[in-house]
Amino acid sequence: MKPKDKQAYLEEYELLKKKGKPFFPYAVMKDSTMALIVVAVIIVMSLILGAEQGPKADPTTTTYVPRPEWYFFFLFEVLRVIKPPELVPLATIGIPTICMVLLLLLPFYDRNPERRPERRPLATTAGCLTIAAMAYLTYLGATGGSPTEIEMKVAPQYEAGKEVVAGAGCLACHKIGENGNNGPGPELTHIGARIPRAAIVRSVEIGPGIMPSFRELPQKKLDELADFLSSLH
Amino acid sequence: MAKLRDAIIPAPLRKVAKPGTTPPKGPAPSDLKTSPPQRKGDLDAALEKAKEAPVETVAWLDQRLGASGFLTGMLYRKVPKGTNWFYTLGSATLFAFIVQATTGVFLAMFYTPSATQAYASISHINNEVPLGQFVHGMHKWGSSVMVILIFLHMGRTFFFGAYKYPRELNWVIGVVLLILTMTMAFTGYLLPFDQRSFWASIVGININGTGPIVGPYLSDFLRAGPELGATTLSRFYAIHMLLIPGAIIALIGAHLYLVVKLGTTAPPWVKAERPKIASPVAELEAGAENGRGNGYVNGYERSDGSDGTGATPA
Amino acid sequence: MTRRKALTIGSQALGGLAGAAIILPAVGFAVAPIFHRGKERWEKVGPVGDFVEDTYRQVVFTETEGIGDAGKQTAYVRKSSAELEEEPGKFVAVSNRCAHLGCPVRFVEAAGNFICPCHGGVYDFQGRRIGGPPVRPLDQFQTRVRNGQVEVGPRYSVTNQLDPVRARDPGEFTGGIWEYLYPPRPSTFPAP
Repeated sequence: MKPKDKQAYLEEYELLKKKGKPFFPYAVMKDSTMALIVVAVIIVMSLILGAEQGPKADPTTTTYVPRPEWYFFFLFEVLRVIKPPELVPLATIGIPTICMVLLLLLPFYDRNPERRPERRPLATTAGCLTIAAMAYLTYLGATGGSPTEIEMKVAPQYEAGKEVVAGAGCLACHKIGENGNNGPGPELTHIGARIPRAAIVRSVEIGPGIMPSFRELPQKKLDELADFLSSLH
Repeated sequence: MAKLRDAIIPAPLRKVAKPGTTPPKGPAPSDLKTSPPQRKGDLDAALEKAKEAPVETVAWLDQRLGASGFLTGMLYRKVPKGTNWFYTLGSATLFAFIVQATTGVFLAMFYTPSATQAYASISHINNEVPLGQFVHGMHKWGSSVMVILIFLHMGRTFFFGAYKYPRELNWVIGVVLLILTMTMAFTGYLLPFDQRSFWASIVGININGTGPIVGPYLSDFLRAGPELGATTLSRFYAIHMLLIPGAIIALIGAHLYLVVKLGTTAPPWVKAERPKIASPVAELEAGAENGRGNGYVNGYERSDGSDGTGATPA
Repeated sequence: MTRRKALTIGSQALGGLAGAAIILPAVGFAVAPIFHRGKERWEKVGPVGDFVEDTYRQVVFTETEGIGDAGKQTAYVRKSSAELEEEPGKFVAVSNRCAHLGCPVRFVEAAGNFICPCHGGVYDFQGRRIGGPPVRPLDQFQTRVRNGQVEVGPRYSVTNQLDPVRARDPGEFTGGIWEYLYPPRPSTFPAP
């Protein structure tokens, strides 16, 4: 900021202070009300939501699906969508560190003396985009399901096939309905309408590209799996 | 009773009534022939003295502490025109921290930071200690509330441009406080030692380990060894209870000091009315004499109640 | 050298010494676990006859003692397979911690794969990564046979070609230049 702008701000600020009110009691009243609201919210949440313990910590589990606390969901989602291993350190350390440094040094690269949000379009847009991105990632992280469960409702004759697909780990690379990951495999929610049953069977047996082959599955399970997938229209 | 304000507000700050406008003290002159002045009995004198007691106490303390100048300066300082409810988010965050600290102290009286006994001690708190689950719940949901409030406060400061000159340092301290708060959330999360805590902490520690060169040693430092071992929980407990709260309290002190010293900003859309007379006195008020950028922008109220522009008060 | 200057330097030196005398032991205390290596532990996981070549059997053993259940670890153990050209008579013990960020993986017998529930990592029968974000194959444990019992020892990591290296944390690449960017730590055991 130029010294002229700094001076202008200080003068303006003095005038605004003159016209202001004493901190006590005017601002203290607002602060006390807000403090009361905060405590009331915490108490109500504690009474309604409680603090139940989960099961005891068990390092030997093979079925547990770890999830972080909700305010880390945005980081968790970033880790989930960055699939190539080479980019993993970028997601775990690189992006958060860069964001923290940008946040820390904000007053040193934003030297525009303007304070009104409508007159600093870059800052306001960047701020709104960041908030929207974090909110969206948090939402995605919250709704992302475990890779061994398919929630969509199916007709009873396809239940067995649904269990086979869920248990075989297909959701690790494919999305089916709300569950599963968005890559590296294509979405299977409507696969039955896109390719014929024979093609599905062939993919499962050969394992095209990086997809592993599932021909080791017993024939009965393969049939149930193919029935279920080809029913997905 | 003597006014408390007169006892503790320093003389230059007191509003002094203009001569000729104060009503004269004492009873109106009465007809001395018909109603002679009453002489005070002993009881009346004692009662009058008792009424003076609170003011006397404060005056006694102030003569020994000398804090009245600082306290009145802090309490009666002016906040700029236009200060609205958004400005309560900062003190709300501080209050949420106080709630966390208080509930944390009470939980610490029952919690055992040992890998074999932590889960049982939390069960004990939840099921047997009176109001145990309630206090535990307050601490658990209080942490979410504090994270929400600190992000809202940061957003308010960002959109109001309150991080610009001369408050850059305050922003930097604030971001460090944000990072410390998230670290508190991370270290506190392991303490209940149930499945969710355990695995979330394992992943969190491993995320730290992915940093090149330093990362593996940082993970070893957090875990006190190559795997989660006997002292990992104690280490997280010490960090959560002692190390980071100490840093947070120190930084909150610095943050509040800067807020009082530099003042809070006005909302950016509020404009000041310029004084109508161009007068050197107006420059004086704006702090031009010490406007060399040393950050001193507070001004005291003038003792005669005027605003320094020479305009006649209404 | 005035008296004033001498006292200034003296007070700074003594103050520095006093500060160091307090801070350094405390920091050393906190940092010491990085350089401490525990005793090598070998745990029995079952008789030789229990394990087969074509599938994994899940075993639980104590990795860290003194902390009860929290110190246990799961591993998947099998006999070495002639088809995969592995050394005969040896046993392969694969860790159940995903190499991406440490979530517990499960072995899916139907597919012959390991699957991680957190971010969708998939490993093949030998533990090599075939899908998802993991950065290297699954870690393994040293194995030996004593008195007809299979014993499982310290953990080690492997490169993408399944060559053993010293144990690393999840998320750290192995092999080549990565051996220097993610240096081996004094708290781990030498690789076999």
